[in-house]
Amino acid sequence: MSDSTPPIPDSQTPADGPAVGRDEWVARHQERRFTSGGRLGVVEERVRSAPWWAWLALFVAAFSLLPAVESSGYVRFVAFQTVLFMLLALGLNVVVGWGGLLDLGYVAFYGIGAYLYAFFDSDQFGIHLPTIVSVPLIVVAGALAGLLVGLPSRRLAGDYLAIVTLFFLQLFQTLTTNGDSVFGHNVTGGPFGLLNVDPYNFFGHDLAIEHQGVFATSYLYLALACFVVVYIALRFVDRSRTGRAWRSLREDSLAAEAMGMPVNWLKLLSFSFGAAVAAFTGTLFAAQSASVFPLAFYFVLLITIYTMVILGGSGNQAGVVLGAVIVGPLLEMLRDPGKSRVLFFLALVGGMLLAFRLSRRLAIVGGATLVFGFAVHELARAIEGSWVAGEKASGFQGAIDHWVIAPDHLARWIPPVSYVGVIAAILLLTLVRGRLRLALLPPTLYLAAFVWENVMLPKPEPTRYIVVGLILIGLMVLRPNGLLGEHRVEII
Amino acid sequence: MASLLELKGVSLAFGGLTVVDCLDLHVDEGEIVSVIGPNGAGKTTLFNLITGIYRPDTGDIALDGQNIVGLQPHQICGRGIARTFQTLRLFLNMSVKENVMAAAYSHTKAGVFRSMLRTPGMRREERAIAELAEQRLAFFGKRLMGYRWDQPAYSLSYANRRRLEIARATAANPRLLLLDEPAAGMNPSETHEITELIGELRAEGGYTILVIEHDMHVVEGISDRVVALDHGVKIAEGTFEQVATDEKVIEAYLGLQTHTRK
Amino acid sequence: MDTFIQLTVDALTLGSVYALIALGYTLIYGVLKLLNFAHGDVFMVGSFIGFGVLQLLGGTANPSVPVWLLLPILVVAAMAGCAVLGVVIERFAYRPLRDAPRIAPLISALGVSFFLANSMQLLFGAQPRNYDTFSLSNGALYLKGIDIGNVRVPLLRIITIVSAFVLMILLWFLVNRTRTGKAMRATSFDREAAAMMGIDIDRVIVFTFILGSALAGAAGVMFALRVPTTVSIGFISGLKGFTAAVIGGIGSVPGAMAGGLLLGFAESYTEGYISTKWSDLVVFSILIGFMIFRPQGLLGRADIRKV
Repeated sequence: MSDSTPPIPDSQTPADGPAVGRDEWVARHQERRFTSGGRLGVVEERVRSAPWWAWLALFVAAFSLLPAVESSGYVRFVAFQTVLFMLLALGLNVVVGWGGLLDLGYVAFYGIGAYLYAFFDSDQFGIHLPTIVSVPLIVVAGALAGLLVGLPSRRLAGDYLAIVTLFFLQLFQTLTTNGDSVFGHNVTGGPFGLLNVDPYNFFGHDLAIEHQGVFATSYLYLALACFVVVYIALRFVDRSRTGRAWRSLREDSLAAEAMGMPVNWLKLLSFSFGAAVAAFTGTLFAAQSASVFPLAFYFVLLITIYTMVILGGSGNQAGVVLGAVIVGPLLEMLRDPGKSRVLFFLALVGGMLLAFRLSRRLAIVGGATLVFGFAVHELARAIEGSWVAGEKASGFQGAIDHWVIAPDHLARWIPPVSYVGVIAAILLLTLVRGRLRLALLPPTLYLAAFVWENVMLPKPEPTRYIVVGLILIGLMVLRPNGLLGEHRVEII
Repeated sequence: MASLLELKGVSLAFGGLTVVDCLDLHVDEGEIVSVIGPNGAGKTTLFNLITGIYRPDTGDIALDGQNIVGLQPHQICGRGIARTFQTLRLFLNMSVKENVMAAAYSHTKAGVFRSMLRTPGMRREERAIAELAEQRLAFFGKRLMGYRWDQPAYSLSYANRRRLEIARATAANPRLLLLDEPAAGMNPSETHEITELIGELRAEGGYTILVIEHDMHVVEGISDRVVALDHGVKIAEGTFEQVATDEKVIEAYLGLQTHTRK
Repeated sequence: MDTFIQLTVDALTLGSVYALIALGYTLIYGVLKLLNFAHGDVFMVGSFIGFGVLQLLGGTANPSVPVWLLLPILVVAAMAGCAVLGVVIERFAYRPLRDAPRIAPLISALGVSFFLANSMQLLFGAQPRNYDTFSLSNGALYLKGIDIGNVRVPLLRIITIVSAFVLMILLWFLVNRTRTGKAMRATSFDREAAAMMGIDIDRVIVFTFILGSALAGAAGVMFALRVPTTVSIGFISGLKGFTAAVIGGIGSVPGAMAGGLLLGFAESYTEGYISTKWSDLVVFSILIGFMIFRPQGLLGRADIRKV
């Protein structure tokens, strides 16, 4: 024990020595990564070191130029919808990514926002509040609803919260669907919801939904502006003591509590924050689509938003926005068989490039798949001409169908058998290694193409969601931190 | 003057197993008290009781004369008790500096809305927190300084993690610091360093310290007073020499020597 | 009084279906500490397997096997099919995530649930499938039965309830009286310690998935004997099933049975005496009530917080 003035620990040379060893090598791994690349490396370094607001500005600028390039109302609408997804993903990121809570009732808060807006601004109750009154009211109401739902589960582990919130989502469905006769009063309009919801109005002026029959860009710009505000506000929260506390409790909630952080309150706070963002987004949805109905806020949407958050990297704001920008338009494109056919083959080629790079194996597998396909195709034509009826189609489809068998009529047993078969084959591929895997790859790919062309493309609705489900499972298994999420070390 | 921390008749049982049995303990302001005892004596449970992770079945725990039984752990931390963990519990994926900054939560104020707006007050507070963290980290010399600030905590060596835990605990500005086996898993030179450091903590930071330690050299080097526990019961208390030569303590550690010899 | 008896019989049928689903959740939660969101969809697939086998055997109007054999065949086929499905899900969607953070397998389970529901819709469409049990031997399963007061309890109901209870008793026996059951309990208590004691954890987990999914398959057929099945029943039945498991005390086998029956009664009486629309609300209120006043459930144990 030293009673004298404490020595500056600098003088403790023996322990200082080993500190610059393995430790420092590990600590500096990030610096080493980018010293190689020559001119490209410099560019990469520049890009990486650009501040976040530069990225945000660039992104928003690119996004807002879209209407100038593309005059189609549909594309503008999809862009608007994507901004809504971005907002929803940002909100969910607060709960899941920062608070670490599995909130399965998230879209119910989106629905609450939309329905409240419909109550406050439509003929349903004859109320027409100005937007600057109703929207803040709804945001507060959403936050309070979040608190109320989170409250019963505040002491409980994540699993219980998941159940309570999932049930809450179901309850929201039941209430809105059956809310057309509450003691004889029509409150929610039942399964078909409420129509003729007012658009946003500012100081007596309505923000028109359509301009000369085409989607009005004003909503796109408004939503984009809201997105920027929400993004920055949330980012600031993340860089504050509250954000640090969220991260701490996600790492180790007991240690966080012992270090003075009110864990339960912080969890509730994140929950309520997510709910508020969702409710706010709901008002945008209701105002733009001029209607609300229960099925707009169901499980399908929930899973979609989860996929966006997970794909981009839960916990990373830029990541979840990227996730929304990818998944939103992807789902839209999958509605159209022509586009989703192209998407599928692009994904196939891209996936193979990722897996094999530009190697000899790529050439072997690619070539084998092509040859295998043509051989099977010719064989099918020789047996029964109607099996290759697809090749009469024009354009890309016709070209593809010179390779894939596309009968004009499918026997009833073919879809289930081929679908289950392709899943079994893909799962089997993950179990085998080496040559066997290479040998099995071409037939599997061909079978997948067959199923996509004949079973899945004709039914875009379930197909879109099957893709979402697959992305979700695949991500969790292969890359749980998503595209931009950083790698995390788990305490075991 | 009343003691800073005072436990009176504290008991805790898990099912039928009594882990802490009617324990009396006090720690005076400015003291360094060591708790020793064989494995399973209830030392860590004692820490968990003090910090509110467990609630005692009976008995009182008072900090500065005020009862803290029934308070939440974070409230107790806010009243001035911070701890380290025997099994390190750092926020591994956060940076070294952030680990320390996070612990300033209980004595800072900026709310969510102020953070969103980045008010000048909030920014001032953030700067103060950063300075506090740097100062706490500087306590360990160069080890946790410089480029280390921005490295994730998982990249630290074992000994540095222990140091970071202490730094984090001190960032909560506690009056009473609970250290759970600060020298566990360290090599002799690091152990020696920790011994010195605990003394410095009191001298520089003015903390009162309650420490659990197995290494008798450390205990000898730092303690004003030593308390020995066995099966949740206090079996001896006094200076290191008194406790180390106490028959009951030797018995607890080595078994019933007198009987086995005969 | 007559309504009451009718509703009680209904409650027992519905409750035993919920209990069977809840058992699967509880078993899997026990060994993996994972809420298997896909379980409800396994149940749905079970009801479709039953339907498919029924069609293969010629349908209810003209079955190629005797009636007394037909129902067991349907149940066993669904159980076997679901068991395989459960094992595949575990192997490919959960096992790679066993050491990942808690939230990862939960999200993977959501993905599996979504994938299964939509795949079934892709292959079989959204229209309801009716087993049409009334056509079986000219409605004997409905017209014959036991009379309680003025109410005739149809044979089909009795068969359903009795066989559900037989399955539950078998399961109880398996968990409490066999070596494998002991291994399951050990694993659920402490997976790592069990592994060190020489228990093959992978085998136990696979076995648990077989068991849980098979029960869901049986429940699926029993459900579909009562009302037509669709690809969308998985979500809501799964939700009710794990609500039952939580109410009963998640991880507890008798708890799941009790919770399932409790839900069955709550739902049946609400639908009978109040309105069919608001049974979800009643069940949700019960769930919230338990969360607040007895979070460990009817028969669960309160955990000691480990530090």
